[in-house]
Amino acid sequence: MLLPFFEWMQDLAISGVLRNSPWLGPGINVMHLLALTVFAGALLMVDLRLLGTGLTRQPVARVARAAQPWLIGGFIGLALTGIPQLISTGTKQYYSEFFWGKMEILALALIFTFTLRRWVTQADEGRVGPVWSKVVALVSITLWTTVTVGARLIGLLS
Amino acid sequence: MTFIRSWFEWVNEFPSSVALRESLYGYPALLTAHVVTMCLFAGLIVMMDLRLVGIAYTETPVSQVQKRLFPWQMLGMALSSITGLLLFYGQPMRFYFKVFFWVKMVLMGLAGVNALAFHYSTYRSVASWDSDVKGPLGARVAGALSIALWTGVIVFGRLVAYDYMTYK
Repeated sequence: MLLPFFEWMQDLAISGVLRNSPWLGPGINVMHLLALTVFAGALLMVDLRLLGTGLTRQPVARVARAAQPWLIGGFIGLALTGIPQLISTGTKQYYSEFFWGKMEILALALIFTFTLRRWVTQADEGRVGPVWSKVVALVSITLWTTVTVGARLIGLLS
Repeated sequence: MTFIRSWFEWVNEFPSSVALRESLYGYPALLTAHVVTMCLFAGLIVMMDLRLVGIAYTETPVSQVQKRLFPWQMLGMALSSITGLLLFYGQPMRFYFKVFFWVKMVLMGLAGVNALAFHYSTYRSVASWDSDVKGPLGARVAGALSIALWTGVIVFGRLVAYDYMTYK
């Protein structure tokens, strides 16, 4: 059902430009990886704190507030560098089971990060039990690691 | 370079190196693990560097950020080194001819020198500027240099996958 949409994206003029340039594609790949590094760093600062390691002398909410701009900025960078890769290789993505797996887990990860995880990191001290904090951190790390693995395998095994 | 080349060629013929090179899933699995473990290592290094530069986690003393992240950075470094060495072990002669591979190695060495130099100079006096939003010039330069060098390591590491500047 979505195939015509993916074919349409692939046939856009900009997609041809991206595919035919010797350095645009690799350059965008590199920036995607750099954005991932910032995103993962900001994510781990908070998840480690929730696990009871990392910056334990700071309240969770303070670490989360400090990490927030880097988490959002990293994600915007990932989206801006991910979308060109998606449109320029539309049909490859459409036929890759890893692409669909990545997108499903990504949707889950985003919902989880901006609802439950956000609530847990902003809650007043003592309102969230240590066990729940750890569960949230482990779910967060698992979801985002799965997204990363799926993303890498689109390129390697599709 | 002939000594290095003969050493790479020697490793290249190990039965386990050949097996890794010829295995269907060895390379994808190792490369994926390298990316994930790099996130742990470089992600936390960059977060600490941003504190040194004075633009993130400024409410936390520098020494706290350093001490509390250090074990995780070292775990990340150990895991990304193991996966990186195995990637190299499987295809030493693929990397030997790639300029970007050598550039990455040099930048990694420089990043290490920068970290050690900072640790044994400016960082010795951390007690007197621990809670300052912006530390002394030496701390800010070390943080900025670290971000620049590790960015270079990631950029050239990723570019090794392409055929640019490969001289056979």
